[in-house]
Amino acid sequence: MKITVPHCGQMDIFINALCRKIGPDFVIPPKTSLRTLDLGIKYSPESTCLPFKFILGNFIEALEKGADTICMISDHGPCRVGMYDIVMQNILREMGYRFNWITMDDTRILRSYLLKFDRERRKRKVSLVEAIRALLFSWKKMNVCEEMERWTHKMRPYEVDRGETTRVSLECLRLIDGVTDLKELKIAREDALSSLANIEQDRTRQPLKMVITGEGYMVINPHANQDIERRLGEMGVEVTRTMWFTSQIAHAMRLDLLKKRSKSKAIRASKRYLPHNIGGECNASIGYAILYAREAYDGLIQLLPFGCMLESVAKNILRIVSKDYDMPILTFSLAENLSETTITTRLSAFVDLIQRKRKIREK
Amino acid sequence: MMSMRVGIPRALLYYRYFPLWNTFFRELGAQVVVSRPSTRKVLEEGFKFADDDVCIPIKMIFGHVLNIEDKVDYLFIPRLLSDNKTGYCCPMMAGLPEMIKYSMPHLPPILDPFVDERYRGTRLSGALSKVGRKLKYNFLQTRRAYSKAREQFDQFQRRMRDGVSVLDLINAFETNGCFTDEPLTEKEEDGSMKIGVIGHPYNLYDTLFNFDLFKRLKEANASIYTPERIHGHTIDHHLRRLKKDIYWTLGREILGAAFHLLESRIVDGLIYLTCFSCGIDSMIEPLVGFRAKREASPYMALMIDEHTGIGGFVTRLEAFLDTARRRKFNSDDERRTS
Repeated sequence: MKITVPHCGQMDIFINALCRKIGPDFVIPPKTSLRTLDLGIKYSPESTCLPFKFILGNFIEALEKGADTICMISDHGPCRVGMYDIVMQNILREMGYRFNWITMDDTRILRSYLLKFDRERRKRKVSLVEAIRALLFSWKKMNVCEEMERWTHKMRPYEVDRGETTRVSLECLRLIDGVTDLKELKIAREDALSSLANIEQDRTRQPLKMVITGEGYMVINPHANQDIERRLGEMGVEVTRTMWFTSQIAHAMRLDLLKKRSKSKAIRASKRYLPHNIGGECNASIGYAILYAREAYDGLIQLLPFGCMLESVAKNILRIVSKDYDMPILTFSLAENLSETTITTRLSAFVDLIQRKRKIREK
Repeated sequence: MMSMRVGIPRALLYYRYFPLWNTFFRELGAQVVVSRPSTRKVLEEGFKFADDDVCIPIKMIFGHVLNIEDKVDYLFIPRLLSDNKTGYCCPMMAGLPEMIKYSMPHLPPILDPFVDERYRGTRLSGALSKVGRKLKYNFLQTRRAYSKAREQFDQFQRRMRDGVSVLDLINAFETNGCFTDEPLTEKEEDGSMKIGVIGHPYNLYDTLFNFDLFKRLKEANASIYTPERIHGHTIDHHLRRLKKDIYWTLGREILGAAFHLLESRIVDGLIYLTCFSCGIDSMIEPLVGFRAKREASPYMALMIDEHTGIGGFVTRLEAFLDTARRRKFNSDDERRTS
């Protein structure tokens, strides 16, 4: 069994750490590139959303690399991600690939995948304790990676040399990816944090604070959102992201009840504008806008793939939230043909607008 | 005192639930105002207020709301999250009242009953009772109105399953106010072509979106099979083998109907009317397409958007009908010789 998963945030680091310790061989799909997207566009139905095209491209490239089992998360919600598995299977089989498909959703957890993985574990003669330890280690590793990313968001607006933070953080990520046990992880984390802190900074700047929210895949993945966090950071904006791979898992497992800015709190906050939870990230997007507006953030950016059913409801409602809380909101509806120039032009116009707003307020 | 006027836009779930809503409000003593049939102008009015990301039927309902907003005391735009024990509606329909409320100025108050058939507290009957209470009717009155409405609705569904065209049914209902027992369609002739037409009801029956598809098919001497004609358990039967829970009610109906029509070889050709940027169609249409390919049946997906012109539509339809007709005669010949 050679499994593969689509690229989604730091998930490949998590699965890689897990598989290196206990599991089946893991084929990392090649880094999502223009070729990935082109393959995805070529074989997808034209009106599917952008994440579908990226993920299908990932799978095609992974199958080319020799994977024979595909793991894919699924859902039973109103969002179309729950139908991805059946449509993608049909497309890939039509293309002539042979593979096993494991759908991971919240029903039939035992029968559809946990037992399968367990059989694989026993075949490899890995004890259960070892497996659980490996799982926890991989989880910690991913948490460290995300912590690093949070730090880069904080540092980037202060850096003196543009692009330095990005370079350092990439090095650190590579360092962390190579780690094999908890002790090393601890050392690697400290090393990474200190090398981030050593970046030359200009602390006199007063960066704007912005929050990025919207559809999960688009927010988490730099390849899907055209690296919007880096771009904003280099324009001198401190970015906060509402969604992380770990936070999504934590929410699904109800582990985030005590957190300050949890998804469930956001959903509760959205009740004033959308009285019922209609599924997906729709309510959370609205709720986060309210939560962060209360914390006096300067602006919000909503990302959605073109044609997303849930986020376009949120987009309509965010217009009013923006007016009520006096918080500028910029919406990016991303399709496969969006160019870099459009993004930078719109972003810099948005940043200019907010800076002017701040100056007026300071007077 | 003038009776209360409740406005129902002629779009989206109107084509599924109108007999129920209409009877309910009329039994309560309210006057029901329905917007005019869709035209290009109505759609263009809708563009002014609708967001550019949403699909064209949603843009259409904005136009219809604009059409009746000044003639009514209340707008009736139900919020359907799920109209079935297991399924969801399109999520846009669950957020529709907000989308309209926050995008258009000077609207009359909106009646937006929340319907989620999966839980006991939010069934359709309860949701409509709440609407009745909001309009200051007592429990008994709303209960009685609902049971009358349900009766009409059941009859509507029965007649649809018998093969009466939905448009004829709704037109007759609008003129008479109830269903009569007289037959509405002529008997099908044998030997004529059978064409399956699938898609969301609000695409299929909207006078602007379907470009008189049904009339054109009838002129070509074809009898028409729509998803409404297919029984629920036939659909279940065909989808069971898929081993996948199709969680959209309408999507499920479309896919099951398509599988049934293709596998049982009932139809000589299948037309899927979809609209651009519809999330449900974008997932269901490929599945129908793959199955049609496997069954080697003539199949055409017609996608409508803001710019669709009648010329392209008619040309494609004619070519498709020619293909289906030739295929049918060839296979008839084969059967005769063998």
